Amino acid sequence: MLDAPDKSQAAFTQWVRRLVTGAAELKAFDAGEIDAVMDRDSGSAVLLPEAQSALHDSNRIALSALDALPGEVCVLDSNGVVIMTNKAWRVAGAAHERSGLDVRAGENIFEACRDVPESERECAAEVSEGLRQVLTRMRQSLNCRYVCNAARTRPMCTFTIAGVASEGPVAAIVTREWNSESPQAKKTPSPATRRSSKNSPLLQTVAQNHLLASLPAADFARMASGFEPVELTYGKVLYEPGDPMDAVYFPGNSLVSLLTLVEGHRALEVGLVGREGMIGARLALGAATSSVRALVQGTGTAVRMSSARFLKEFRRSPALQRALFRFTDTLMIQISQTAACNRFHIVEARLARWLLMTAERMASSEFHLTHEFLADMLGVRREGVTVAASALQQRKLISYRRGDITIVDTPGLEAASCSCYRYVQSQGAARMSRS
Amino acid sequence: MATSGLVVAHKRSKQTANASVTTVVVMRLYVAGRAPNSVKAIANLEAICREYLKDAYKLEIVDVCEHPRRALDDGVLVTPSLAKLSPKPSANVIGNLSDTSSVLAALGLTPALA
Repeated sequence: MLDAPDKSQAAFTQWVRRLVTGAAELKAFDAGEIDAVMDRDSGSAVLLPEAQSALHDSNRIALSALDALPGEVCVLDSNGVVIMTNKAWRVAGAAHERSGLDVRAGENIFEACRDVPESERECAAEVSEGLRQVLTRMRQSLNCRYVCNAARTRPMCTFTIAGVASEGPVAAIVTREWNSESPQAKKTPSPATRRSSKNSPLLQTVAQNHLLASLPAADFARMASGFEPVELTYGKVLYEPGDPMDAVYFPGNSLVSLLTLVEGHRALEVGLVGREGMIGARLALGAATSSVRALVQGTGTAVRMSSARFLKEFRRSPALQRALFRFTDTLMIQISQTAACNRFHIVEARLARWLLMTAERMASSEFHLTHEFLADMLGVRREGVTVAASALQQRKLISYRRGDITIVDTPGLEAASCSCYRYVQSQGAARMSRS
Repeated sequence: MATSGLVVAHKRSKQTANASVTTVVVMRLYVAGRAPNSVKAIANLEAICREYLKDAYKLEIVDVCEHPRRALDDGVLVTPSLAKLSPKPSANVIGNLSDTSSVLAALGLTPALA
């Protein structure tokens, strides 16, 4: 767009009027019904003063709205240059000593990724590659975890990069979420990140698990000897209903379904636990056996602890008790909402909800699963899943090929999901913020 | 503006469809973002379409701030500007489309007939 030359508004309007040819055009121009005139020489639209100020106002409102968002947002152009960051991004960046790729307007994020300290290279390369794929339309969105070794506290954050669809070059919106973030965590480094032995699988997993990462350093140090890093593989059953729970699990990037079995019917998923919680929380409520089947449905890391040790630590640590009650409450909300959802909502909306919950817990928008598996999760026949998945695929919300599911359009999928997703999410967030 | 390049197709629903075939009016409206006259033009046109065309129309909105080349190639000189593309003959209306009768005339409709 051409900027207005430095003339008075009236003079500028008269100057623009010379570009107008045609009786109808001139009549509308003189009636004040025109916003812009096309300038053939510059190949652009010249905005009249009123239109300019209206557009300026709406941009200003959009910028203020972005600043008012509680989440940390950074907007990039198609070359990776930062167009703007919102207030939350700038404030959190400063609080974390400008670690976590804390780019500012005018900087290029690809250059920032190259300039990180040695210890952050791997994470930064992943962000850089992911962003390149989004900007070249190879992917719609993705999540990247990032460990900030540069800052004193070595916090972790997750970047979500999403392409902004338009006819021209793709732009991107990057959001940043700090994991295990609490006022205390800012003052005292979180137990998971203060260790000097960096990149240990145990510590990485611990840092990913919100429940463990929220514990004070002293409690964590006492518990640490009881932690055993394990890999949970897809399809593994941790407990069957009625099984004694001899160990508890804190997922890192793995994902576990809680399934209820009713005689004569398929298993039905009633809960989904990932990095926000633990498997075996029932022990803390005095139960010794599992009431559900705990089935690994996302391969990944977890921390295992024997039940005896867990109970001992649970009795000793008020912080662990609080964290566990908080998680159990959130899980109960999820289970009760899922029960209602399974009864009242259509398969397509439930599938959308389930995919969103899975993506959120695995911090990834791509995963592998079969129709058979999804049928179990949703308690419907395989054919029902096929129809629902095809419908979502046709609406370009997901892509599904031989068990590989990619969420192509997260906001679209949220719109397609039933209200249960937003309800459980909002209740969980409200619960966390009150604690 | 977000609606740029978006084709808003309104197909006849089962309830309104009858045995006769109704032509679909295809239009393109060139606007400048959310500038005042452009916003008015969109609102005025949508009101006219609702009243006179029910759902037998297709409207594409082109934002010249984002796609100036398209406007120039289509011979558009000022915005807002409405082009009726189909059925023939094609016609144009310039301005914020507050004069309903001239819009109806360009679309080949008259209040009495519609």
